[in-house]
Amino acid sequence: MLNILAGIGIAFFGFVLQTSVAGFNRKVTGRIQKRYGPVWYQEFRDIFKLFTKRSVTHGWIFDFGVIMAVGGIIGTAMFVPLTTHTLAFAGYDNFFIYVYLIAVGMLGMAMSASGSGNPLASIGVMRALTTMLAYEVPFMIIALTIINLTGTSSLTEIALAQQGQFNWFAIALPLGGIVGFMSLMGMLGKKPFETYIAPAEIASGPMVEYGGKQLGMLLVMHEITVFIEVTLFMFLFLGGAGSIIVFLIKYVLIYTFANMISSVNGRMKIDQVVLFFYKWPLIMAVTQAIIAIYIGWVI
Amino acid sequence: MMNSMNNVEEIIAAVEANFDLLSSDVIDKYQVGLDVNKNEIHRLLIFLKTNGWIQLSYLTAVDWIEENEFELVYIVFNWDKAVHIQIRTRIERDVEKASIETIMPIYPGCKYYEREVHEFFGIKFPGNPDYHKQLILEQFDDLPPLRKDFDPLAYAERKFPKRDYPDKFTNLEGKESEQAKRDVTHERVSKLRTGGTKK
Amino acid sequence: MKSTKFTKFTEKEADAKWWEIGNYFRRNSIWMLMYCTGCGAIELPPAMTSAYDMERLGMGPMATPRQADVLLVTGYLSVKTLRRIIYTYEQMSEPKYVVGFGSCTINGGVYFDSYAVINRLDYYIPVDVYVAGCMPNTEAILNGFVDLMGMMKNKTANGWVKYHENYEWYKANQIQAVGEVHVHDEFHE
Repeated sequence: MLNILAGIGIAFFGFVLQTSVAGFNRKVTGRIQKRYGPVWYQEFRDIFKLFTKRSVTHGWIFDFGVIMAVGGIIGTAMFVPLTTHTLAFAGYDNFFIYVYLIAVGMLGMAMSASGSGNPLASIGVMRALTTMLAYEVPFMIIALTIINLTGTSSLTEIALAQQGQFNWFAIALPLGGIVGFMSLMGMLGKKPFETYIAPAEIASGPMVEYGGKQLGMLLVMHEITVFIEVTLFMFLFLGGAGSIIVFLIKYVLIYTFANMISSVNGRMKIDQVVLFFYKWPLIMAVTQAIIAIYIGWVI
Repeated sequence: MMNSMNNVEEIIAAVEANFDLLSSDVIDKYQVGLDVNKNEIHRLLIFLKTNGWIQLSYLTAVDWIEENEFELVYIVFNWDKAVHIQIRTRIERDVEKASIETIMPIYPGCKYYEREVHEFFGIKFPGNPDYHKQLILEQFDDLPPLRKDFDPLAYAERKFPKRDYPDKFTNLEGKESEQAKRDVTHERVSKLRTGGTKK
Repeated sequence: MKSTKFTKFTEKEADAKWWEIGNYFRRNSIWMLMYCTGCGAIELPPAMTSAYDMERLGMGPMATPRQADVLLVTGYLSVKTLRRIIYTYEQMSEPKYVVGFGSCTINGGVYFDSYAVINRLDYYIPVDVYVAGCMPNTEAILNGFVDLMGMMKNKTANGWVKYHENYEWYKANQIQAVGEVHVHDEFHE
């Protein structure tokens, strides 16, 4: 019972953290574009404004899909480790749990988006799944390399294996670090891989028929998803965190770096995304896997 | 420039040899205007199309209400020589009888131009299968709008109600209008630079 | 498409503390619909980008009417556009606001005697704030938005409530100008 409460606490902490960091990053983007940005708590105001609007519903599957998405993602966030000692469910932080449970959230969103009956929503969902197909392959190769090198697939033990003088996998497997970062940008849906939202092209893709409360819940789901993915990247490549201060610093730095790269890029088309991920990142991932496992050159 | 002026003159000469033009004028280096009779239009357009003027750029009408005639203007364009030719004819302005045979067999792209001309002027084009269908105007129940005897202000006031302003902005009886006083001052000031006389 | 049943919005509900807190969130994060109808839309890009930044007030552009709060009617409206504007306005989720830009929405502007342009936007959809000018200056536009935020704070921005209360009157005006509001093209059928 205490574990469940701790898990919900971690999910709530992740939501508050990511919303503040997202608001802060809107200010960073504004400063890059030579203007003032909004205040750092702007995303909170957006989400709570959406909760106070009366919304329109398109049927039962539309509402249920959103609730399933939010529930699934909170369930995934309950297993996320904050530091190497702070876990809700000790022993259950296997890497493959996240890979499977994130699919529940995406499935809920896809169900409700296609339940709305708008053809643009189906196009958006198809693009999201195609993008996922593109970035998962190099990411899985690198993740499996890391699991092979450390011999375990539990996130906290991978993080503990990276302690020491600059033994992080982002530096020990340099090509792998680059591939992991590119896959992270695909996962977060940041430019140049923003095809699944594409605001002016297909009128925000899956979110086209949402308004009011359902959109607020979808934004909550998106924030918690980002929290899970950035923490995953941090534990796999940057050595996890020993204390909560180091966690916060690393989190903010990763997300701000990804945001700064995305704010100077345009958006790619969906076939360019797939071709991009299957060319250089795949070659680099395979090379890195061969070097690390068979030849054994690890820095 | 002499070359293309010669070019344009050659075009007029070639046309004049085969048809009887009412008049022709060279507007500038790239534009020529030809006036013909109503029954020569199709032969002239076929002649021009087989000689390189393959694009119909525009088809419209002008309302000469004093002379009681419509003037149809066809503008065709040649991509090799880069010359626009305007072909102008006059037809009667009567509501029932204003019509001319369609040029769809020659230039198929005139379908929508003829629909627009019918909607805005009332000229019929027998031969075009759907020239009477509505294209742009919606809920329209008056004369065709681009005729000169159509009153747009009366139509707008009938269909789209305006806002009434309260009375304090209109001139009340008995009081002197402030704007009239300002006009007098402005008149006096504008004559100062020229020494009291209007320049 | 089914919609939730509209419950009447009473005075007591407007004075409740919960609605006032909602007003704080609504006025600090206005999302506008990027549907710029006429020539007045040329003044919107300076307001959105670095010159007179709109995002520091919390406003941002959104792509679909279901997600947006504010419908900006920038400039003249022909009969065709009016039909689609009404269709869009009825799709937005409440509470929603309308800002009329330019003189053409107030009393016809330069097109007061045209056979295709409506003269007064107030007869067809309820308008909260007008920004006069042809075009209005960008600072005037930002002043209009700040006025809208002030109206939200004073609970006087109730155009959407008036639309529901006087629905028959608005509908009669719309049908007189536009015919039926349903759009007939291949996307809707």
